[in-house]
Amino acid sequence: MSRVRILGPRHRLSEMVGVLQDAGTVHLTRPSAEALHPVPESLHRDEESRLREALENVEATLEALPVQDVQPEIPDAISAEDLRRWEQLAERLRRRAEDLTGRARELERRAVDLDRFLDLFRRFGDLLPEEPGNDGVRSWFLVLRTGGSDSTDRLRGALEEKLGEGFELTVGEERGEGRAAVLRASGEAARGIDDVLSGAGVEEVGLPTRLPGGASLAGATDAMRERRSELRDKVQRLERERQGLAAEHGPGLLGVRLAIRDRLARIEALRTAARTDRAFVLEGWVPEEELDGLRQRIENDFGDAAALEKIATEKWRGEQAPVALSNPRIFRPFEAVTRMLPLPTYGSIDPTPYVAVFFPMFFGIILGDVAYGLTLGALAAWLHHRSDADSILRSVSEVAGACAAFTVVFGFVYGEFLGDLGHRVFGLEPLIFDREDALIPFLGLAVALGVVHVLIGFILGAVSSVRDEPREAVGRGLYALMVVLVAVALLAAVRILPGAFFTPAVVALLVAFPVLIIVEGVLAPVELISTLGNVLSYARIMALGTASVVMAVVANELVGTVGSALVGALFGLLFHLVNFALGVFGPTIHGLRLHYVEFFDKFYSPGGEQYRPFRHVRSEDRAAASLDT
Amino acid sequence: MNDVFWLTLSAALAVGIPALATAWAQSKIGSSVAATLAEKPELSTTAILMIAIPETMVVLGFVVALVIMLQGGGG
Repeated sequence: MSRVRILGPRHRLSEMVGVLQDAGTVHLTRPSAEALHPVPESLHRDEESRLREALENVEATLEALPVQDVQPEIPDAISAEDLRRWEQLAERLRRRAEDLTGRARELERRAVDLDRFLDLFRRFGDLLPEEPGNDGVRSWFLVLRTGGSDSTDRLRGALEEKLGEGFELTVGEERGEGRAAVLRASGEAARGIDDVLSGAGVEEVGLPTRLPGGASLAGATDAMRERRSELRDKVQRLERERQGLAAEHGPGLLGVRLAIRDRLARIEALRTAARTDRAFVLEGWVPEEELDGLRQRIENDFGDAAALEKIATEKWRGEQAPVALSNPRIFRPFEAVTRMLPLPTYGSIDPTPYVAVFFPMFFGIILGDVAYGLTLGALAAWLHHRSDADSILRSVSEVAGACAAFTVVFGFVYGEFLGDLGHRVFGLEPLIFDREDALIPFLGLAVALGVVHVLIGFILGAVSSVRDEPREAVGRGLYALMVVLVAVALLAAVRILPGAFFTPAVVALLVAFPVLIIVEGVLAPVELISTLGNVLSYARIMALGTASVVMAVVANELVGTVGSALVGALFGLLFHLVNFALGVFGPTIHGLRLHYVEFFDKFYSPGGEQYRPFRHVRSEDRAAASLDT
Repeated sequence: MNDVFWLTLSAALAVGIPALATAWAQSKIGSSVAATLAEKPELSTTAILMIAIPETMVVLGFVVALVIMLQGGGG
């Protein structure tokens, strides 16, 4: 990254900002020279408030209209007159859209009411009279939820006690949640009936007081159905009209929104400049490889009137520079894993290439099954096909693809295809070891990977701090050495290495230990123990891997134990699906954890500022990015 | 009581007690993390790490249990 200063005549500042926006490579910052006058915040304040007001207006309209999957039509320039015109159109469209939505909502509410009434009519069925009731006789429509004849008898008993013979209770068939019942009695008895009903906990339901066309209660259902269907048709017509408006004006509204954001970004950029009476100064960061192109562009547009100078490296510090992760294509998807943490500081080590090697490897070692690997590969291919280039989903699909490849490879290493099914059906044999039986070799492999991973972390830590903090670099190196010595001593003790290694390793440890305390301080022993804990933490690779294979074997065993072979096979397949889901989730979480906690801790220096070049806002993604700044 | 009983019991305790401890720790961390994510969804990476950290206890317990079983002749 190069720090650059751009100078030019004061009256051409706006033009220069336009050129920089076209170039799209400069991360602008405020100039560092104190003698300069910063551009006042009030510059273009009026234009900014007009733009923000228009943006708010357009956004409110886009919220009211269902604009989806349309390509924005971005205008080349947006004058004050255009802005006014767009604002008026947006206002008009929003009112229309809100009116359509409100009407559709009201009609839908009425249709839902009819749904409810029709449901009640269905439940009350034959209990409803053909004609409205006689004068002076009132009906109560009840739902007896408790079910059974006991509750009906109790209610009848209670009513008899209160009213004697002066009522008629008709109870329907049990349907769904309870029985519908209709109680008829004189209006004078209403008070007593209400008391009985509330005492018995019986729910009274409301039926429409006025029926379409003055029909009888039972005969009204057809009219209600017809009315409901009319209402739903109207709702659909209103929705179609709203969609028509969205299709007609959506691309223009989306385009003008981007154009407004583009213009706002330019105003923000103008405010990062500083001025003297006659000149302007802009400062920023440009990737080294873009520098010549930018210089050429300025020369073409301004000739001798403006100049771009590179500020010498000794005049700025690395922590001030923004960070852009830049990796070869094959490693680039794994930047998504690195980006889940705050970015590394400028000039420190980007761990992405190491993540690209170790993360899928750990994943493959844990899941290690040919069939699971192929399934994951198919899912990754599908996701790759469905995702846009440069999207986060595309990165996820590529990381999943790498994990799937390692899973297949380790599936052959362990001889696993849906657990031991490959061995049983087509005699698949492990290439190196069967992890179901060889627990100790598997544990050894996991811990050995831990030693290697942690060692690489320490070495990277030593390399990254060797220039600025040589003492820390020595400390990192000593930790790395001690991890190796502990490993050698242990391997010699259990006779995996020749016994002759044991004494020299222990002596070297005894010598290195006080040096470590001198270099790193009295807390060094604590960190050393925690480092050994870090190494042992890699045992989780073996623990999860063993759990995964045992689950797969259990799934296969189910085939022979549950009833018919077909039921057993289905049950086994279901179990494999569960195991596959767990097998994808577990290694991902634990692989990330091993990287973030055990590995990055040794060298990673977070806190870098994201490189955000000042450029045109031409898509929603860029708009979001520009708003973040 | 024979040796197999004691070996098996020791191995079970070696993995069982850390498993309970991990579960307790994760329950505390999990509820705090849920509350945190409701306010700051951008902390989800830290949240995942926080939840995964106590699992080291049960992993180490598992290793100890394995060593007990294998060294004690139970494997």
